[in-house]
Amino acid sequence: MAKRTLVIDLDRCSGCDSCVVACKFENGIGLGNYYNHVKPINPAGKHPDINMYWLPIQCQQCENSPCVAACPTGASYRDPDNNVVLIDKETCTGCKTCLAACPYSDPTGAVRPSVRWFNEELGVMEKCTLCNHLTATSDGVENTEDTTDAAHAVPPCVHNCSCGARSFGDLDDPASGASKVLAAAEAAGRGIHTIEAEGVTPACKYILSAEIADWRGLGE
Amino acid sequence: MQETTLTRRSFVKAAAVAGAAVAVGSTVAGCVDTGGSSTGGGAATTTGKAMYGSVCHGCIQACPCKVYLEDGVVVKIEGHPDAPTSIGSLCLKGLNQIHTCYSPRRVLYPLKRTGARGAENAAFERISWDEAVQLAATKIAEAIEQYGTYSFFCSVGGGGAYSFMQAMTMPMALGSPTVFEPGCAQCYLPRITEAAYMYGGADQSIADCAVLEPFKGLAPLEEAKGVSQDTKVIVLWAAQPSVSQTAQSGRGMAELRARGCKTIVVDPNFSPDAVKATIHLPVRPGSDAALVLSWYRVILDEKLYDEEFTKYWTNMPFLVNPETKLPWLATEAIDGYTPPADMPANTPVYVCVDENTGQVAALPFGDPATVSAEVNPQVLATATVKGLESKSCGQIYRDEAEPWTLAKAAEFCWVPEDRIRAAIDLYTSPLKEGKAAGIANGVATDMEETASQVPDGLMGLDMIMGYVNKPGATLTQNGPLPADGANPRPTMFWNGFGGMFGMMYGIGYEVGATEEANEARIAAIPEEWDPNGQLAPFMTQSTLWAMNQLLLDRLGMKNHRGLYNWCHSHIPSVREAIETGEPFKPRVWFDMSGNKFAVLGSAGAWYNAIMDDGVDFIICQYPMITSFQIECADLIFPLEEWLEATGASSFGQLNYAFPCPGIIHLGETVPNSVPSQRVVAAASAILNEKLDSVIFGATGQTMAELKLQFPLGMGVMGGSDSEEVEWAAQIASYSEVLGLGEGATKEDFMAALKDNHKAYNVTPPDQYWTYGQHLVKADDGLPMGFATESRKCEVYNQIHIKLSRTGFPYTYPREIGPIDPRVGTWGGDYSPICNVPVQKEAPEVANANGLALSDPEFPLALTSGRVYYFHHGTMRHAAFARELYPVPYVRINPATAAEYGIADGDWVEISSRRTQGTDYVHGTGIEQSYAGIKENNTKTAEPIRTKAYVAEVVAPGVLWMERFWNPESFDSTQSKKTGGWQQMNVNVITNAVDCNFNEVYGSYTNRGFAVNIKKSEKPEGVWTEPKEFAPFLPSNKNEYLPDDIGVLIENKALLTDIVAFPASTAEGGQ
Repeated sequence: MAKRTLVIDLDRCSGCDSCVVACKFENGIGLGNYYNHVKPINPAGKHPDINMYWLPIQCQQCENSPCVAACPTGASYRDPDNNVVLIDKETCTGCKTCLAACPYSDPTGAVRPSVRWFNEELGVMEKCTLCNHLTATSDGVENTEDTTDAAHAVPPCVHNCSCGARSFGDLDDPASGASKVLAAAEAAGRGIHTIEAEGVTPACKYILSAEIADWRGLGE
Repeated sequence: MQETTLTRRSFVKAAAVAGAAVAVGSTVAGCVDTGGSSTGGGAATTTGKAMYGSVCHGCIQACPCKVYLEDGVVVKIEGHPDAPTSIGSLCLKGLNQIHTCYSPRRVLYPLKRTGARGAENAAFERISWDEAVQLAATKIAEAIEQYGTYSFFCSVGGGGAYSFMQAMTMPMALGSPTVFEPGCAQCYLPRITEAAYMYGGADQSIADCAVLEPFKGLAPLEEAKGVSQDTKVIVLWAAQPSVSQTAQSGRGMAELRARGCKTIVVDPNFSPDAVKATIHLPVRPGSDAALVLSWYRVILDEKLYDEEFTKYWTNMPFLVNPETKLPWLATEAIDGYTPPADMPANTPVYVCVDENTGQVAALPFGDPATVSAEVNPQVLATATVKGLESKSCGQIYRDEAEPWTLAKAAEFCWVPEDRIRAAIDLYTSPLKEGKAAGIANGVATDMEETASQVPDGLMGLDMIMGYVNKPGATLTQNGPLPADGANPRPTMFWNGFGGMFGMMYGIGYEVGATEEANEARIAAIPEEWDPNGQLAPFMTQSTLWAMNQLLLDRLGMKNHRGLYNWCHSHIPSVREAIETGEPFKPRVWFDMSGNKFAVLGSAGAWYNAIMDDGVDFIICQYPMITSFQIECADLIFPLEEWLEATGASSFGQLNYAFPCPGIIHLGETVPNSVPSQRVVAAASAILNEKLDSVIFGATGQTMAELKLQFPLGMGVMGGSDSEEVEWAAQIASYSEVLGLGEGATKEDFMAALKDNHKAYNVTPPDQYWTYGQHLVKADDGLPMGFATESRKCEVYNQIHIKLSRTGFPYTYPREIGPIDPRVGTWGGDYSPICNVPVQKEAPEVANANGLALSDPEFPLALTSGRVYYFHHGTMRHAAFARELYPVPYVRINPATAAEYGIADGDWVEISSRRTQGTDYVHGTGIEQSYAGIKENNTKTAEPIRTKAYVAEVVAPGVLWMERFWNPESFDSTQSKKTGGWQQMNVNVITNAVDCNFNEVYGSYTNRGFAVNIKKSEKPEGVWTEPKEFAPFLPSNKNEYLPDDIGVLIENKALLTDIVAFPASTAEGGQ
C-alpha cells in the first residue's frame, strides 16, 4: 500500500509562507481558507539561550486515516490507485464529522493551524490533496527538464519552497523523492520526527537536527 | 555670453552620452495598447496555453521563473529549476505578482487629479498620454521660467519599477542638482562606497549581489561541472538573506548550511538566519561598532590576522602624521629619500617601522617576496617622525579598540562574552588552514549613525585576515582575470558610476593615477566633449568650472560628501529646502517610484512640508496607487509591472543570464524610462520657444545658460523612450541561444522562447569565478594591487581624511573646504576607522546589568527589518500576503511585555520623540543635529499602533517591527478615507530630522532608536481579517476609474471568461 506524503526538513525551513501561497494559487483557495500552514514554534528558553523552528503542517496522510472511517457519506476516501487521503467535494455534505476525528484539525475548521478547513462558500470540507491532480502517478523526483511531466511532478509547495525544505513521494518506494531525502537524513544521524497524536500514525515526516532546535512537535 | 550661439541653442536635448535616441516628438509606440489587444507590449501568444521564461523582480534580486499563460492571461508562475542560486525556488513575493499585475490598484492609464490633494476626497480622471506629457512639461517649464532650473527635482526608491538612472539624470538634464532616494545613504551607498575607498572592489552586501562567492557550486548543474563550494564560514552581520531575498540568497543560505558551512549571525532579532546560526550574537540595536572593535582588539592582540597580507597588502603598518592624519610619504618622512628608479609615480612609497631594525624605513609597494627582503613592516608600531610621535595605522586601530574588551563589549552590546569569543575563534579559524571566511554586511547599519564606521570595520576585518580575492571569501571579484603584464595599475574614478558624471561635468579625481595624469585628463575634457570641434569657442575650462557647480550645489554636499558617489542629495536637506526656500526652493517634483511616506524617515515631517509649505506640482510614475499618490500626486504616469516589462530584471543570477521579455501588457502602461524621456523632450520644446525673451530665474541661471549653449550629453540616461530598445537588447542577448538569425523581431523572439526554458546564457565558470586579481602582474612589472592611492587595502581609510577637508576626490580640481567640524567624529574629520560615536538615538546603557537605556521617557530600543511578505513599500495590497501578515507585529520579549502589561496579540501603541513635545519648527532640524542638541522635541506624528508578538525572539528592552502602510485605508469601501501611512508605519516615528546623521553619508536613523510602548486599541480603517482583503483581489475593476474605462485589459470579454482564478479566489468573501 503506497504511503504518499511530504517530508519536510526543518533545518532548512525559514518559515517564509511561500508554500502556503503556492498552494493557494494552485488550488484556487479563497481568503481565510488554507490547506497548509507554517507555525513558528517559539523559543522555550530564555533569551539569548533560545532555539526555535518553523513547523509546516498540512494533512499528515495518516496510515490509519480516522477521517475516512468517521465520514458518514464516504466523501473522505483514499485514492484507490495511490492511497492518498482525499475528500470528494461532490459527496461531502459539510457535516464536519471528520474535524472531530482528525487530531490535527481545529474543531471548527476555521482556526490556524488546522489541516482541514471548512469552505463556507461551497459548504464542504477541504484539505491538502498532495496536489493529486498533478502528482497522482509521480515518483516525486522532479523532472527539471519538464516540471509538468506527470511521472515526476511535485506539488508547487515543494517545487517553489524557498529553502529546498520540502520533498514528496511514496515512503514505501525507496526511489521516491521523499524516501531519498529521508534515507540521507537517517544516514547523517539527523533527527526524524512525526507530530504524534492519539490514535493516528501520520505518514508525514519532519527532519530536525538537535543542533538547530529541540523537537517540540506543535509546541504549546 | 556669445550672441552668435543664440539661434542654435536649445534648452536641452536628450542625446545622451550613452547614445539614446532623441525623444522629441516620439511616441510610445509598442507600449500603448490602443487596438484592443491584450498583449500590445508583451509579445506572448494570445491563444491557448504557453510557457515563457522570465525573471522575477519582486525584490532587489532576480529569480528566474517560468510563466504560464492561458489565452494571454498569466495563470501560474513557478521558479526556474536551472537557476544557479534559487534552484527552482520562487517565494511568495514572486508568486503574488499575479495579484499585483492584475490588481484593482493598478494605474493603467495616465491619471490627473481632479480635486484637492489629500486622500479623503481623492479623485482622478483618465487623460491621454499626450495630454499627460504636455501637462507635466508645462508645469516644469513654468517653474523653471519663473524660479530657475533648481526649482525642479526628482526622487526614486521605495520598491518596484526602479528608475535609478532616470531619476539622477532627469534633473541634471533640466539643470537641477536635486534628486533623492530613501535608500541610498540609508541603503547600500555607504557599503558600496566604503568598499571603493578601501580597496576598489566589490563590497560585502549579499542583497545587492556584491557577495556571490558563497553561492558558487550549489546548484546541481554547477556541481556537475565540478565547480567547488568554498565558503565554510560566513558572518552575516546585520543581514537576513532568508527573509529579504527569500528564494535567491535565502535558498543559497539553506544550501550552504546543508553543506556544513558554519554561520555567525549578528542581529538583534532571532531571524531565520539567526535561528539556524552556529553562533548568534543578538547585538543591542545601534551598538555594532563597539562589537566590531572588540573583534579587532582580540585579533590584533593575539595575532590571529594574516600577517603577510596585513604587512604587505594593507596600509596597517604605515606610520601616520598626527597633524595631517595621513600616512607619511617616504619623501616627507626620510631626509633625502628617493623612491626606487623602477617605482612608478602613481605608486607612492610610505613608511613603517622595520621590525628587524626597530627603525623607520621606507615601505615600497611590490611583491611581498621581494619587499620582505628589504623591510619587515611592523603592524603595531609608534615612532618619532620629523619630531612627531607617529603611530602606525594598526596602532591607531588598536588604540581605538582599547576600551572594548570582550567584557566591556558584552556589557555595552548585550551579548554574552563567551559568544563573542567563540564567534571570533570561528571567524578566524579558516586562516589556520590557509583558507578564507568572509563577512556579509547587511543594510541595518546603513540606517544608523555608524553607517560608515561599521562597514569600514567589517571590510577591514576581512582585509587583515587576508580574506580578499580568495576562494570562500566575500571580498571577491567576478569576471575574467586581467591579462598578465598587460594592464596599468587599477584606479578608481569618482562621481557617479565609474566616473560617468565626473566626465560629463568635468570634476573628480582618478585615484591611483598621478596628479599630472589627472590634470591632463581634466584639460582634455573639452576636446572629449567636442571631438568635431563644433563647440570649440565655448567649451573651455571656465565653462567646465560652471558646469561642475551643478554637482557642488547639490543639497547636503557641504557636510555629507559620500553622497557624491551616487550624485544624490541629502534627504533631510531637501525637506528643509522645501520648508524654508533655503538655499533654493524645490517646487515641481517628479517621483519615479512607490510610497514615499512608507519609506522616508520622519514621514510626518515630509507630509507637513508638502502640504504646508507647498510643492507646486507633483508628478508620479508607478504601477500602483500608494499613500503617496493618493495624498499628493497631481499627475500619474502608468508603469509596467515586471511581467509586462522587457528587461526589467536582466542582471542575472551568478554567472547565468535569463531572458526577461514583456510577456503581457495591460492598459497604457510603459517601461519606467519612458515618461521622463518624453517629459524632458516636451519641456525643452516649450522652453526653447522662450530662450530669447526669458531669464531663467536666479539660482539656476548659470547652469541654464550653459545648457543653452552646450546641449550635449545632458539627456535623461538609462532606458529609452520606448520599449523597442529593451526588446532589441533582449534579442541581441539571446538570439544565439534561441537560434535566431539577423533581423529577428520580438515576435520571432517570443515564438522561439515559447515553451522553451533552456534559452539562457552561462559564462564559463573559469571566466567568472576568479581570484588573486591583485597578484596579476601589471604593465609596470609590479603586482596589480588595488585601486587605492597606496595600491593596497586601506584599512585605515585615508580618503576619508582628504574628503572631509577638501572634497577630494569628488570635487577635484575644485576644493570646497572642510566640513562643519561638528559633523566629523575624528577630531572634526570623517573617521578613517571604525569608531563608536555618541549614541543619540538609543543612548548607552545606564546600569551595570546592561539591560536598560538611559532615556527615561523612551526606555526601549526599537529596530526594524524586512519580513518575507514585502519588499520595501511594495505588495501591501497583495491579499494572499496580507491575510497571512495583516499587521507588522512588534516583537517584544515576554519580560518586557509583562512589565508593560502587554499580552501576545494585544494591540499596542508605540511612541518616540517624534510623537510628543512641540510641533517641529521648520528648518531647524539639521542645525540642531550638528549642534548636538539632544533634548529635541520635534513632534511630527501621532504614535503608531500594531499588534504584539510576545516571544523570546528579542532581548528584554528591544522591540523589532517592520515598517508598514495600509492601502485599505483609502479603499472605496471606507467611510472615511486616509492615506494609510500613519497608523502602523515605523517611519513616522523614526528620526530624519535632528538625529546624529552619519558623518560621511548623512544617513539618518531608522534603526535602534528610543521608544516607549503601551497597550492600546485597533486603529481606524485597517483590515486584519482574511476576508476583509477581498477588494484587493483581481477583478474586472480598476477602482480609480469609472467601470467603463477601468478594465484590467481592453478586451473585457477575454478577461472575464479566461482568467483562471477559481471563483473562491477571485471573489472570496465579497
